[in-house]
Amino acid sequence: MADALDQAVETVEEQMETPPPPAGEDGLSAPETSGPNAASPATEQDVETAEPTDAESAPDVDGDTVVMSPPPEPEPTPKPEPQAEPSKKNKTGIPKADLGEPQTPLDPIQFPPVTLNNRYLISPSTALPELNSPSAHAYGVEDQREPGRHLFALICKPGLPIRTTLMAELKKQGVTGMLPMIDYGPVFWAPIDQMTIALIMERPLGGRFLDAFGDRAPRINEYELSRLILEPLSHAISALASMDFAHRAIRLDNLFFMDRDRRELVVGECLTSPPGFDQPIIYEPLDRAYAMPSGRGYGFSYDDMYALGIITVFTLLGYNPVAKLSDDDLLAAKAELGSYQCMCGGERIPMTWIEPLRGLLSDEEFERWNIESLTTWMNGQKKTPIQRRPAPKPKTAFKFAGRDHVTTRSIAHAFSKNVAEAIKVIKNGKLEQWLRGSLGDTELSDTLTSVITMNKAHENTLDGSDDVFVSKVCMRLDPRAPVRYKNYSFMPDGFGTALAVEYLRKGNYQVPGEILARELLGHWCASQHHQGPDINALNKSFQTLRGFAKINEMGYGMERCMYELNRDLACQSELLRSTYVTEIEQLLPALDEVSDHVDKTFRPMDKHIAAYIATHFKYDITPHLKAVSDAKEETSLIGMVSLLALMQWRMKIKTLFGLSSWIGGLLSPAIGTYHSRTTRRKIEQEIPALVRQGSLPELFDLIDNAERRTIDAHDFEDAQIAFAHAEAEIEGIAGEGVDQKKVALQTGERVTAMIAVGLSMLATTIIIFVQTL
Amino acid sequence: MANKAPSQQMSPDERRRRGRSTITWILLMLAFIGVIAAGTLILTFFGMLPTLVAYFVDNSKDKSAAFTVGSINFIGVFPYVLTLWGGLNTANEAWNMIGDVFILLVMYSAAAFGWLLHLAMPSIISSFVIVMQQRKVAQLRGEQKDLIDEWGAEVAAIVEMQKMEKQEAHMEHGFDGIEMEMLP
Repeated sequence: MADALDQAVETVEEQMETPPPPAGEDGLSAPETSGPNAASPATEQDVETAEPTDAESAPDVDGDTVVMSPPPEPEPTPKPEPQAEPSKKNKTGIPKADLGEPQTPLDPIQFPPVTLNNRYLISPSTALPELNSPSAHAYGVEDQREPGRHLFALICKPGLPIRTTLMAELKKQGVTGMLPMIDYGPVFWAPIDQMTIALIMERPLGGRFLDAFGDRAPRINEYELSRLILEPLSHAISALASMDFAHRAIRLDNLFFMDRDRRELVVGECLTSPPGFDQPIIYEPLDRAYAMPSGRGYGFSYDDMYALGIITVFTLLGYNPVAKLSDDDLLAAKAELGSYQCMCGGERIPMTWIEPLRGLLSDEEFERWNIESLTTWMNGQKKTPIQRRPAPKPKTAFKFAGRDHVTTRSIAHAFSKNVAEAIKVIKNGKLEQWLRGSLGDTELSDTLTSVITMNKAHENTLDGSDDVFVSKVCMRLDPRAPVRYKNYSFMPDGFGTALAVEYLRKGNYQVPGEILARELLGHWCASQHHQGPDINALNKSFQTLRGFAKINEMGYGMERCMYELNRDLACQSELLRSTYVTEIEQLLPALDEVSDHVDKTFRPMDKHIAAYIATHFKYDITPHLKAVSDAKEETSLIGMVSLLALMQWRMKIKTLFGLSSWIGGLLSPAIGTYHSRTTRRKIEQEIPALVRQGSLPELFDLIDNAERRTIDAHDFEDAQIAFAHAEAEIEGIAGEGVDQKKVALQTGERVTAMIAVGLSMLATTIIIFVQTL
Repeated sequence: MANKAPSQQMSPDERRRRGRSTITWILLMLAFIGVIAAGTLILTFFGMLPTLVAYFVDNSKDKSAAFTVGSINFIGVFPYVLTLWGGLNTANEAWNMIGDVFILLVMYSAAAFGWLLHLAMPSIISSFVIVMQQRKVAQLRGEQKDLIDEWGAEVAAIVEMQKMEKQEAHMEHGFDGIEMEMLP
């Protein structure tokens, strides 16, 4: 890292000697008065190279704005344009997110328009592939209240957790510098035969930023760059940060011009996929770039600033300086040289831009420029240059998997890619030897020794498996990097989205479950050098999740973890496939709605619904969940009715006719908990009337009335005793071993004796009476 | 064993000692009555001799034969006891009465009638008792059926459990009463 600073200075020095370019040479240079750093001599540097000009499509300088030729009028049914392929790079080498194949044209009769929120008419037959997002397709929209508005709809592709919380915020308040979202909501999208979320966006009339350049390099001269790109994007980042969100989809191919004159640049949407999911790896800070797309995490505005730095490099140069590098090579280069040196090391960067680029591309979050730093710089104030601490250099490189590694970061990354080989290297002590001898990091070497010793204690157990062991070693080698386990890598704040994507796409939680069970997240927290309150909070939340995952009951398990970590995620119950439940208030109405179309022999409750309720319902439902999970059918049924009734009562939902009818038909086992047949018949007779009221609390009160149950139990006990008494009496009269005739004879003898005694007393009395007279 | 009768809890020595004490008391009472009413005692003893026989002959637990014979026998004896009490209640007078065959016939005929009652009445009464018991069993079974109709078969759970326990006990200790030599 020591070389990075020197090399950058050398580059600037070389650039100083280069003669300045003539202003407005090819329409991309800035006017003399433009830009925040116009007075700086460094802005006179030549950053232009001969590029083919396209008078119709290339941006032109007009006054203090960059004017580009206006795009054609938006057509109702524009022809599909070729979309970017996965990680596609054009001749400039600038990577683009994969927009997928353009939509196939659909018959408007077969697929009529659908209405969103009783206002927006979305036409499946009017595809707008040029406005597609990587995780959403664009279609034409008509606003029924304000016809003529330039809008388009983004239809989210199912199978990804989307950012509905941010959508709700953006609906309330717009963000300057970001493509305005007008509305959103669930719609039934006939082409995919499924409910999904549709976003109504304001249409960018100037089209996509990259499309404005056609085949030419998307270069903006150094004088215009700040005003054209940095200003609007920093506004967007700043506004989102004030709402406690990060954009996480800031990339060159996600920039749009809102106006036909192409003066107003905005960053596109970031709502239809998890944060950072669609970003090409180059736009992600090194820590998050190591993670798989679904595990890059929510991130912070710092991560947006990094992406802004990458955009700045691309637009300053007009090409990707590291286009030739594969993703792995790029990560290795960033790890070993640092992001700034890797991106700008051999490039001619205008001197005034060196400091902001150093700041924006800093690999250390605490060093990276924030909005304030950038604004200060854009206002022409100097900022103290970042002094990079040189990373310790090893005496010799560490050879692993055919590559020479000089940093523990790249070793950790390489280990995670090749566990079998990594195990050999770790166990034969070569790594510890290299750390101690060549790198001189005895502390890390000792830490590694303790990890190896601990692992020996767990040998031949799941906790001591090779994957777990290598994962733990990687965490020690590169504590800031993601958790990496079995080709599953994620930042701790991205565990939720990674888990959700794993479930939505593969239908299971195998690997995330193992990660929780092996306590890898706790180990990650323990590996961090700075044990702040945030790490403690993270660790505590993972312990809670681990607790949930261990309980194999309704309302817990991995489903609970998924909903706890993805509060935006719609309920994934099979019963709710035809609806889209993103808020707890929608759950009962949704169940009510689907009640006509489902097999009513199934209960309106499954692991997903229970976990969703447990996550989102703010009242304590622990006893209800316990009952729902009971092995006895009747207890479980009563638990379910009690839970749903509590929800209807708490949420003040007046009527649920469909759901009441559905539950009413399932109540037989619950009614069977009463012993008295008379009570059962009475309850059965009362159910239809309550179903017609649509009230679950009334239904619950009917089947689980405490007073009635007490009376029933008491009477049943009496009945049991009466039965036993009768049986005992019968046994006494005609039971086994009783000689009925003998007993009767004995009774006869006793009765005779009593008669005789009676006679004797009578006779004696008469005799005394006669004698006395 | 805790709920055994107190007499069963006593040791044989203690029981023997108590028996002796009772006899002593009876003898003392008889001696006392013999001194103050010797005639009555002699007449009653000889007049009630069939009752004494019935007492020893009757093997039943509640001695119903002795009660039946004794009660009727007493009807035959009592008028002569009254005669003694009305006249001279002396031993000589008692011996004179016993010497009268007619008086003896009256007293012993009464005892014979008592025996007749004891032999004839129980079988007649037992027939009635059997009919009544059968009616009672039918009534109880009916009540049980009503309970099952109202409360389900679970209402018999206690009874079933008792039967199971009984059966289990029988299975476990069923050989207790069998001579071990019979087993191979």
